[in-house]
Amino acid sequence: MATAQATADQVERIIAARSKTKIVRLLIFVVVLALVFLSVKTTIVDDTDWARIGSVWNVLESIGQFIGINWSLVPNLWQPALETIMVATLGTLLGVVVCIPAIWFGALNITPFAPITYPIARLMMTLSRSIHEIVWALFFVAAVGLGALAGVLAIAVRSVGFIAKMTAEAIEDLDPRPVEAIRAVGGSEFQVFIYAILPQVLPVMVGVIVFEWEINIRRSSILGLVGAGGLGLVFFRQLNTFNYPGVTTVILAILVLILFGEMVSYYVRKAII
Amino acid sequence: MRYSASGPEILKGVSFEVGADDFFAIIGPSGAGKSTLIRCINRLVEPRSGEIVLYGTDVLALNSRQLRKLRRGIGMIFQEFNLVNRMSVMDNVLSGRLGYVGNMVGLFRLFSKEDISRALSVLDRVGLSDHVDKRADELSGGQRQRVGIARALMQDPKLLLLDEPTSSLDPKISREVMALIMEIAKEYKVPVLCNIHDVQLAMEFCNKIIGLQDGIKMFDGPTSKMNTKKLDEIYAMEVL
Amino acid sequence: MAVSTATQASSDTKPAPPREWRRFKFPESLYRWGGVLLALVFVSYSIIYLNIPLDRFFNMFGRVGQLVADRYYPPEIDYVLEPDYLASVFDTIQMSYLGALFGMLMAVPLGWFGSYNMTPSRRFVYPVARLVTMSARAVHETIWAILFVTILGFGMMAGVLALTMFCIGFAGKLFAEEIEAIDMGPVEALRATGASELNVMAYAVFPQVRVAFTGIGIYTWDVAFRAATVVGFFGAGGMGWYLKRNILQIETYRVSAILVSIIVLVLIAEGISAWARARVAKAK
Repeated sequence: MATAQATADQVERIIAARSKTKIVRLLIFVVVLALVFLSVKTTIVDDTDWARIGSVWNVLESIGQFIGINWSLVPNLWQPALETIMVATLGTLLGVVVCIPAIWFGALNITPFAPITYPIARLMMTLSRSIHEIVWALFFVAAVGLGALAGVLAIAVRSVGFIAKMTAEAIEDLDPRPVEAIRAVGGSEFQVFIYAILPQVLPVMVGVIVFEWEINIRRSSILGLVGAGGLGLVFFRQLNTFNYPGVTTVILAILVLILFGEMVSYYVRKAII
Repeated sequence: MRYSASGPEILKGVSFEVGADDFFAIIGPSGAGKSTLIRCINRLVEPRSGEIVLYGTDVLALNSRQLRKLRRGIGMIFQEFNLVNRMSVMDNVLSGRLGYVGNMVGLFRLFSKEDISRALSVLDRVGLSDHVDKRADELSGGQRQRVGIARALMQDPKLLLLDEPTSSLDPKISREVMALIMEIAKEYKVPVLCNIHDVQLAMEFCNKIIGLQDGIKMFDGPTSKMNTKKLDEIYAMEVL
Repeated sequence: MAVSTATQASSDTKPAPPREWRRFKFPESLYRWGGVLLALVFVSYSIIYLNIPLDRFFNMFGRVGQLVADRYYPPEIDYVLEPDYLASVFDTIQMSYLGALFGMLMAVPLGWFGSYNMTPSRRFVYPVARLVTMSARAVHETIWAILFVTILGFGMMAGVLALTMFCIGFAGKLFAEEIEAIDMGPVEALRATGASELNVMAYAVFPQVRVAFTGIGIYTWDVAFRAATVVGFFGAGGMGWYLKRNILQIETYRVSAILVSIIVLVLIAEGISAWARARVAKAK
C-alpha cells in the first residue's frame, strides 16, 4: 500500500511540475504576443497611409497591374543580362584577390602575428558581410562614378567576407598527415604547400567561390538601381515609366538568370568536390 | 648508427646500432616513445641531445637544405598512410621524388619520363598497376598503404622508417603488407626500422628487436633471444 | 624464423603493365581545361565589354582616400543622435524582428512541405513548396521592397512584408535542409503507432530540429536586420530613408554619419546573434 501511495504522490508532483512549466511557457508566449501586437500597431498600423491603399479590392487591382509580360522588351534584355553576369563574375574574381590577405591573416595556423593580424582579418570579414551591397554600391558610385566599375567593386568587397571565412576555416581544419609525409620525403616548404596543403584547400575554396558567384548574380541584378548598369537599370526605368508588366518581365528575366547561375554552380561544384 | 636522445622526457637515453640488412622492430607499450624515436631519426621531431649517425653523417648537425637531402634518402611509411587524398595514386607516388626535383617541377607536375616509368614499375611491384589514376581516397586501407610503400620506394631509400604501418589494417592485410615490405627490403638491400605494437608480426618478420618501456631501452637483440619473460618485463606497465 | 610470404598475385600472371602514362586524359582533362580557358576568355571579354576604366581602377585608392577625407570626414554624429533618426532606428529594429518572425512562421510549414523526407506529398506539395521558397529567395529584398511600396505605398508595412518574403525564402530553405537531415528512426516508430502526421512532426521531428531551428532563427533575424537598414532607401520605412534623403541633398557628412550608424548597429546585431547562437548550441 505504501508504494502505491508513493507512486500516486510522484505522479501528482510530476503533473504539478509540468503544469508549472506549461504556465511559465504560456506567460512568455502571451508577453511575446503582446509585444508583437504592440510593434505591429506602432509600425504598420500607425505608419501606413490606409486611405491611399483603399480596400482589398484596390490592392488586388494594383497587383493585377503587374500581371502580364511585356514581350517587346525581351530582345532588349539580353545585353543587360550579359552585363549583369559579367559584373557578377568580375566582382567575384576581384573579391577573391582581395580575400587573399584576409585568408592569410584569418587562419589561426598560418596567421603571422595572431594578436594583431587575426582580429584585423575578422574585422575585414565582418565589415564585408555586415554592410549591405546597396550601401557599398552607393559608396563606390561616389568614389569612381556611375557604371559597371562601381558594381564590380561593390560585389567584390561584399564577397570577401564569406569566401575568406570559409577558406580560412578550411585551412584551420587541415589534415596534417600529408604535410608530415611530404616533409619526410625531403620536400621543401614550398613543395609541402603545393603538394599537401593546396590540394586540401583549393577544392573548398573553388566551391565557395562558385557558390558566392551564384549569389552575386542576384546582387548584381539590383545594383543597377543605384547606377551600376545591368538588369537593375532596366528595372528602374520600367518602374519610373510605370510600365508594370515591364517590371514583371524584368523580374522574370532576373529569375531566369539566377536559375542559370544555380545550374552552373551546381555542376561546377559537383565536378570539383 | 648510434643513437641516444631525450625529447621532452619522452626518450631517456636510448642507444642502438643498425646494420645494413637488419629489419628492426621497435616494440613496447603505448607511450613508451616508439613513435618519437622513429621521428627523431629524420628529425620530424627534434631530439634535445644525443647523436644520430647515418652512413657516416651526423644527422643533428645538418642545416635545413642538408636535412632535406638526408630525408629524401629515407623512406617513411605511416600508420595512417599520409597520402594526399584528393590526388591520384600516380601523383602520390610521384611525390616521393619531391626531394630530388626542383620547386617548379612540383608546382607544374613536370616529372621526367624516367620518374614516370620508375613510378609505373614501382606500382607494378606493389601490385597496384590497375589503380594508377584512381583518387587515393577511392582505395582500401591495404591498397593505400601499398601506395605509401611505392612512394617510399620512389625515393631510392637508404633506410626505411615504418611508424606502425599495420595498425590501421586488418590482420590478413597486415601480414601481406609486412611481407611485401620485407621482400622489398631484401631486394633493395635497405635496413628497416619498424615501430610496431603487434608483437607477433614483429617476431615473424623482423630479425632484431628493440623493446622500449617508458622511454628506456629494455631489450636490444636478435628475435631469437626474445622470450615471454622478457616480453612481460617490457609490457609490465601495460598490465597495470 | 618462420616467414609467411603472401604472394602479390597480380604481377606474375597478368600481361606486362603499360609503360606509357599521360597526365592529359581525354575527355575529362579537355572539359576541365576547356572550362578554365572559357572562363578566362569570358573575364577578359567582360573587362573590355563593360568599358571598365582600368586606369580609374588603379587610381582609385588615392581618389577614394581623398574623397573620404574631404567629404566624408568628420561624420556628423549629432545628426544620427537626433530623436527623429533614433526613432527610425527603433523602427528598423522592429521591422526586422517582425519580418523575421512572420517570415519564420510561414517558413516552418514551407520547410516541412519542402523537405523530401517529410513532405505530405512528393508529387505536388513538395515541388510547390520548393518553388515558393526558391522564388522568395531569388527575388532580391530590395525588389520586394520596391514592389510592396508600389502596391501599398510608402511606410513600414511595405518594409515588413518585404522582409517577411525575404525571410520566408531564406529560412524556408534552411529549415527544409535541416528536416532532411534528421534521423528517420523515431519518425518510423511514431508512424507505426498510427499517430497523425502532425503528431509525428511534433514528437519525432521537432525535438530533433529544435536547436538547429533556433540557430537558424537567430541567423535569419541577423540577416533580416541588415536588409532592414536598407529597405528604407526605397521608401519602405526605417533608417534607409534618411540615407536616401541625405544622398539626394548631398549632405555628405550626414551620409557618412548614417553609414557609421548602420555599421555600428549591424555589428552589434551580429554580436548578439553570434552570442545567442553560441548559447543555444551549448545548451543543447
